[in-house]
Amino acid sequence: MSGAPVISVEDLHVWFDLADGGELHAVRGISFDLHPGERLGLVGESGCGKTTAILALMGLLPASASVRGRVLLEGSEIMAGGEDTISPHRWKDVAMVFQGAMNAFNPVQRVGKQIAEAMELHGTATGRSARLRVAELLELVGIAGERQDRFPHEFSGGMRQRAAIAMALACDPKVLLADEPTTALDVMVQAQILELLVSLTRDLGLALILITHDLPLIAQVCDRAAVMYAGEIAEIGTVHDLYADPRHPYTRLLFAATPDIYGDDLVVSIPGSPPRLDHEPVGCPFRPRCDAFLERCDTVAPRFRTVAPGRSVTCHNGDPA
Amino acid sequence: MGRYAAKRIGFALITVLVAITLNFVLFRALPGDAVSALRCKACTAAFRAAQRHDLGLDRPLVTQYGLYLKGIASGDLGSSLRTEAPVRGAIWEAIKNTVPMVTLGTVFSIVFGIIAGVISAWRRGTFVDKITQQTALAFYSMPTQWLALLIVLFVAGAVGLPTSGLADPSIDILGDASTWSILVDRFQHMVLPSLTLGLVLYGDYSLIVRSAMLETLGEDYVLTARAKGLSSWRIVWRHGLRNALLPIVTLVALSLGFVIGGTYTIEFIFSYPGIGYATVEAIDQRDYPILQGIFLLVTFSVIGFNLIADLLYPKLDPRVVSS
Repeated sequence: MSGAPVISVEDLHVWFDLADGGELHAVRGISFDLHPGERLGLVGESGCGKTTAILALMGLLPASASVRGRVLLEGSEIMAGGEDTISPHRWKDVAMVFQGAMNAFNPVQRVGKQIAEAMELHGTATGRSARLRVAELLELVGIAGERQDRFPHEFSGGMRQRAAIAMALACDPKVLLADEPTTALDVMVQAQILELLVSLTRDLGLALILITHDLPLIAQVCDRAAVMYAGEIAEIGTVHDLYADPRHPYTRLLFAATPDIYGDDLVVSIPGSPPRLDHEPVGCPFRPRCDAFLERCDTVAPRFRTVAPGRSVTCHNGDPA
Repeated sequence: MGRYAAKRIGFALITVLVAITLNFVLFRALPGDAVSALRCKACTAAFRAAQRHDLGLDRPLVTQYGLYLKGIASGDLGSSLRTEAPVRGAIWEAIKNTVPMVTLGTVFSIVFGIIAGVISAWRRGTFVDKITQQTALAFYSMPTQWLALLIVLFVAGAVGLPTSGLADPSIDILGDASTWSILVDRFQHMVLPSLTLGLVLYGDYSLIVRSAMLETLGEDYVLTARAKGLSSWRIVWRHGLRNALLPIVTLVALSLGFVIGGTYTIEFIFSYPGIGYATVEAIDQRDYPILQGIFLLVTFSVIGFNLIADLLYPKLDPRVVSS
């Protein structure tokens, strides 16, 4: 990718205060760049910090969370001032399709009104022009514009999901965060939604971050992917590179654990489970499940290092230092 | 909407019919009657039989039922067995006293209960929430009669409000009191029973509003609303309370339905001559016609307010009609 990134995340950390007074280090320093029109997949097991990292970008974490790091939106830092600096960009520049976006609509208000609500709030359109814009957005995601006066329960699950995407596009954002946008949908609707997301990034130059634990889906949609493990990015690179030449044992094992209807290879599971993050792990957090560990993995945490342009990995293997 | 409303109204009418019938059956099924409650030297068996005959209690049940239905249809609820005055007038007197008192208490509890519940849910886990919740729970679980006694013993003296009766018996003894001072006196007599009722219901309301609000505030569309950039006040108001209203409306309808029923214990402790007081007296005297009249009225009002709530639901939640 050429040109300046639309959003850059630098060393993002998130801690949650626990009820017993402890802390849970849910996101442990992640960094990545995203360029206009680019589609980045964020993949990993449940609890690896994918959603937390994305909610941190939106400034939507609960009060028990504390965040550190830099988020640059087109070169300007938006995180440092907390709510004051994030809220003008929320939905206007960075919008989100939530996990379970089918429930993103208030059941007692008309769909169109809820889409227009964001525009009116950010002053991008009001009254009649907002109605026209809502109709346009719904058409864009394949829903007849006059349906904006319907209530959410009069839409099917797939339609609601598409309407949620239309709502996310209301203020022409530059970055769209999609958290598992296709779970709970059947494969046909799933394909429609993914196609829609791809065409939006192509036609509108929207940058997309797609969160999922579904590797084939990433391969289908994204240019690049970041594999997350225990709150860190284990490896980031183009989808092709990650598949053809994984540099992190976790990436390799994750691909091996994905069933392939054409292959006759046995599906391998990764034994063990991710570490608990209420205590800082010593050494490499993947060490107990790794099949290629070195002596220093027990004591020294690997650093996140760039191995090729656009390609970084957190692993001692191949690290001369 | 038309079909939904027709269905609801139909159901309400059927319920009313069933209630009317049950009201009749229930009183015939009870052991003893007004005559068996009489205690006097002259009460020989023959005298009792004559009394029963006069009151129509010796006729076949079916005939009695027919007469009962005819009476209700023409608005005639019979006469009190004790005073022989028409039941309708006696009940009307009691209603006039009960409704303002109970309405005052109910409105108090609805207003403060909703405010407390919303704030409590909004500021969940904070000191304000804990205090509000503990207070609500205390009032909710307190026996009404005990709270009433506490108020009589400790509050009434401190604030100088009357603790019994409907009005000061001496206020207009010379016939020169102004309407205003009579009204003020009436109101003062109403305050403490209203407060008792209001506090008990307040606990109910604030707990239910809080849990309904917490449920809606945890919904995905509330998170989406935050992401869209809505202020937290707007979220609580437009997306939270609006959705939490359904259970709240149900509760309001239920308690308004019982407005007419009065509150037995409260009226008794404050010697407030309302429907509750009249009920207790009528039970004491086995004055069936009065009891029947009161029960019928309470049933009608509960069914009526529930019907109103049912007809309101589609306005509050568009999903109600289609499901």
